[in-house]
Amino acid sequence: MAETKEKSLSDEKPKPRVRPIVRLGIFLISHSFHFSVVCCTAGVLALFLLPVLAKNTYISENALMPGSASPMLSNQHVSDGNRLVKDLTNPNSKSSETGIESHKIIAQYMLDLGAEVSFHKFHPQMNQFHPLHFFSSPDSGKIQENYSCSSYGINTVGIIRAPHGDGKEAIVLVTPYNALKSGFGEALSLGIAYSVFSLLTQVTWLAKDIIWLVADSQYGEYAAVAAWLREYQTPKFSSLSTPNAEMCPDVNNLFELKGHSISGSKFSNSFRRAGTMASALVLKVRDQNEQFEDTISIYAEASNGQMPNLDLINVVNYLAVHRQGLRVNVEKLWSLLNSSWLKSLGEIFESLAKVAKSLYPKWKFGIPATEYVEGTATLASSLYYQALGVPTGPHGAFRDYQVDAITLEISPKFSLDKVWRNDILLRGGRLIEGVIRSVNNLLEKFHQSFFLYLLTSPSKFVSVGVYMIAFALLIAPLPMVAASLYVDANSSSNCSKGDSSTPSAITDTDEHSIAIRSWRWLNSAKLVFIVHLWGAIVSLLPYFISQIPDCSPTTSFMIWVLLSILSLLTLNSVLASPLACAKATQEKEWALVKSVTISSVFIGLGLMSVINFATAEIGALLMVPMCLLAQPLKLDVRAGTLRSFCRMICNLVLGHIAFPPAAFFLLKGMLDGFGNANVGDFWMWVESLWAWNSATYLFIVEVTYIFSHG
Amino acid sequence: MEKVKKKIGSFSFWNWVTASIIFRLILIYFPKNLNLSSRPEVSTPLTSFRRLAEGYWLKQSFMSPYAGSMYHGSPLLLSLLGPLTINRIEGQPNHLLYSLVSVIADVVSAMLIRATGQNLRLAYLRSLESLDLVKQIEVSEFLFSGDIAALIYLCNPFTIVACVGLSTSPIENMAVILCLYGACSRLIPLAAFGWVIATHLSLYSAILIIPVIFLLGCGPDSPPRKLFLQRHQQKEVLNQSKLPPRFSWGPVIHFAFWAFLWSVYVLVLCGISLKQFGGLWEMFKSTYGFILTVEDLSPNIGVLWYFFAEVFEFFRNFFLIVFHVNILFMILPLAIRLRHRPCYLAFVYVAICSMLKSYPSVGDSALYLGLLGWFVNELADMQFSLFLFCGYVGVSLLSPVMHNLWIWRGTGNANFYFATAMVYACLQIVLVVEGVSAMLNHDRKLRNLITGKPQDAKS
Repeated sequence: MAETKEKSLSDEKPKPRVRPIVRLGIFLISHSFHFSVVCCTAGVLALFLLPVLAKNTYISENALMPGSASPMLSNQHVSDGNRLVKDLTNPNSKSSETGIESHKIIAQYMLDLGAEVSFHKFHPQMNQFHPLHFFSSPDSGKIQENYSCSSYGINTVGIIRAPHGDGKEAIVLVTPYNALKSGFGEALSLGIAYSVFSLLTQVTWLAKDIIWLVADSQYGEYAAVAAWLREYQTPKFSSLSTPNAEMCPDVNNLFELKGHSISGSKFSNSFRRAGTMASALVLKVRDQNEQFEDTISIYAEASNGQMPNLDLINVVNYLAVHRQGLRVNVEKLWSLLNSSWLKSLGEIFESLAKVAKSLYPKWKFGIPATEYVEGTATLASSLYYQALGVPTGPHGAFRDYQVDAITLEISPKFSLDKVWRNDILLRGGRLIEGVIRSVNNLLEKFHQSFFLYLLTSPSKFVSVGVYMIAFALLIAPLPMVAASLYVDANSSSNCSKGDSSTPSAITDTDEHSIAIRSWRWLNSAKLVFIVHLWGAIVSLLPYFISQIPDCSPTTSFMIWVLLSILSLLTLNSVLASPLACAKATQEKEWALVKSVTISSVFIGLGLMSVINFATAEIGALLMVPMCLLAQPLKLDVRAGTLRSFCRMICNLVLGHIAFPPAAFFLLKGMLDGFGNANVGDFWMWVESLWAWNSATYLFIVEVTYIFSHG
Repeated sequence: MEKVKKKIGSFSFWNWVTASIIFRLILIYFPKNLNLSSRPEVSTPLTSFRRLAEGYWLKQSFMSPYAGSMYHGSPLLLSLLGPLTINRIEGQPNHLLYSLVSVIADVVSAMLIRATGQNLRLAYLRSLESLDLVKQIEVSEFLFSGDIAALIYLCNPFTIVACVGLSTSPIENMAVILCLYGACSRLIPLAAFGWVIATHLSLYSAILIIPVIFLLGCGPDSPPRKLFLQRHQQKEVLNQSKLPPRFSWGPVIHFAFWAFLWSVYVLVLCGISLKQFGGLWEMFKSTYGFILTVEDLSPNIGVLWYFFAEVFEFFRNFFLIVFHVNILFMILPLAIRLRHRPCYLAFVYVAICSMLKSYPSVGDSALYLGLLGWFVNELADMQFSLFLFCGYVGVSLLSPVMHNLWIWRGTGNANFYFATAMVYACLQIVLVVEGVSAMLNHDRKLRNLITGKPQDAKS
């Protein structure tokens, strides 16, 4: 009994002995406002510091070094490639309507080299929004049944079996080629691939099979590669399960004819396979170019912000720069390059670094301002493409099967003379040869290096351990503010009870208040859950709307809006009108609602950072301030001070900006001017974001939107 | 859990029950999309549906169902559920009949939980009455804990996932609940039957014998006996009829007899069904032996697989003993401290088992979260409830994501997945610790009310 009395006494005074960690927690919670301001600023600042903190890339495995041996690709192979380019650009080959002639030529060339050749017929399959795609294995996507014989594409596949290999592994070389309207660049890329291919039939060091896929890009490069990969990775054992192109008579005839015309035992009509893919290279040559030197652009972003192993990029970068003297490029946001504020920021960092260096000579972290600006532009585009979750090229299809792949786009300085063409063929071919030789020497999959990184230049990267700090700083205020709101809500209810009632009555009322107190958040949790449910429904609706045939983007957008409102009303009425209830009690409860919302946002952002860092980062930049500032408008209006007015304005602006359609229009307006924005565009955009991340983004945003206006 | 409202009329209760059943039936029609039955969180080597089907197939082709270390469940389940694995109705999802059995098991469990919860609530009110605390504690504010517990069990996503994911845990859970129900309503043969079946299906339920003995010996949960004595000392009239009964050995012996009878019966049945395939020894070796030696190291939401994948072979036996004794160590102190609240003791035991068992699944969590609902009145002032709730939500979302990163995308590794398993284990520890301390605080508060001391502010 004495103990309890003591305890109750000690509760009134500050407790003398509290464990340090608890005291720290209490301190943080009580100062959550300052804490969150400091953390958010530090988070944003750390994001801008990332280009400074980027490390140089390095090749982490000695097994990858053989690529730097002196190249074996000679002028003989180059002239072989040249022959193919000439044949393909010859106007006679384009006479056929389906472009089958050029495929015949390519196949003939492959056969002449002694490779195994097969054609792969496919029907273009649109990317569909599949809500549960993320959690299932990549091959569980159902194959559409409604084929028509009018549209099909033909991939030509050539396979070289390695003389020393056991046929368990393969390297894939992809060259997109549109037989109907091919530019000179595409033909040139085929030429490069062919010269490498012809070399690889002769070399003795080959340990992995080489697959050369000439992807028919008339329905898009990605679709062709994805169709071939799907076929490659999911073998069909019964012929009954493939009611596809074989049903179409004209296609069949073509291939029959083809089989007879080419007199080779190595040609087969069936699907050919080699081993598991170690890596894949997609090779493209750009048609027009204004630059003054030969450059190579590397595209690496696959779906959902996945990146190939950094080693692959390192190898390409190392060989291109140090062996072939090509300039390597990664995508940049060009608009950032000329921004003056970024330049001045870079100068500030530079001068800071100088000061630091003068203080202590071993501190060398500064980079020149121009380099900083370029790094930031590259980083921004890296973040943007990862956040978008749409692959930047056909290499994206490989990443779904855990194959590391990148796209190399060679943009030569443009001239037409033959010397130049041979030069490009030689250098491009030698680069490819080197990369293949490196990968060929690997005994295991790429695993030494990073999968989670952001590029700031082709030879610099920010690893997950560094960029996570910025993100962690940014979202650290969320749990703190949630906890402080929760504690406040609880203690305030206690105080009011204690004041109003005499000490003898405390025991009576306490039982009642306690019963509500500790689990009172359940009501707000219910509200938050319902809003999330609505958000989920809204984000799943496009899937069903896309099933409706013959809809223009604008009408389907309208249907979407209507259905969303309808579903909100239905939820509202079915689930005992939670929103109305909340409104009545919100004066007291809003702190709890906000606390639950913030914790749910915290969970959501934490999850997203694991799935797709870039989305989480951009989402956090938008949502953290919004969550922290959110407050019911009524209270603000009533308070009437300048500060609350400012906060209200902030809330309204933030709420509108973060609402996805609004955000889209703003972005679009900034990029293209406001004139041509259109609701239909938004629909197209959403459809293009068929991947998982957009859905999450949508529904997390919805929640806070609702509350800031509650 | 959000769906549980504060006050649930009976009409609304049945609404929620039907809604949850309909939701399950809808999910059953999309098994391909969800692929739940292959998730490591749902189906462990002990509860997996695929293994059950494999065992049944082996037995049909006159081989031992335990051949090839595929099946590790009871032979009785094979005879009862096995035929359902191959029966198909034209045009319906493949395992419709089996899923329906799981749904029925869930609903039966929920009804049993409801009945037990009502029992417990009545017992609680009775003991408050005999302590003369009815006026001080507003009884009308008391929640119908039975309804709430049943709804938590039915609407819990974990239960739904275990049911739709075709694991056998709904049936195991039903056996445990049957045992507790029988003990609470003093149906001794039923309690014994439930206990024997639960132990037969999963070894860990064996420790439930302690709460069951307390339940049968002293009746359902009540404040500590000391309080009653204090109360009556104050009044200076010792009314024997208002005291809770002392421990009586009669029902316990009765229970022991029935438990013996049922276990002999079950063993004989198993022996008959395994006559050609190595008999009972084979069964013990590949069910209990499999559980105790942690042979299968495929990832699950527990922590043991990772540990035993790392540990050196010659330390393995030592750590096996350490891990299993861990559970046993906690039995005695908890039993002494919570002996006046046997149902709560059962909840704590179930929670600890699901934390430390070798092949945990979300079905186990579903069971103890449902049992937690019985004590909403007592645990009203539990701390960290929001934190725990957010933790459970976070972990249950993070775990599939980490698994995806590790298995399908290849960007993560086993440590990612194991980290969520550790967080999950920590959450369960916090839940048990906070739950027990809240319950003890509740007892302390009752004592203060009796002795007239001011309210302990810390509660």
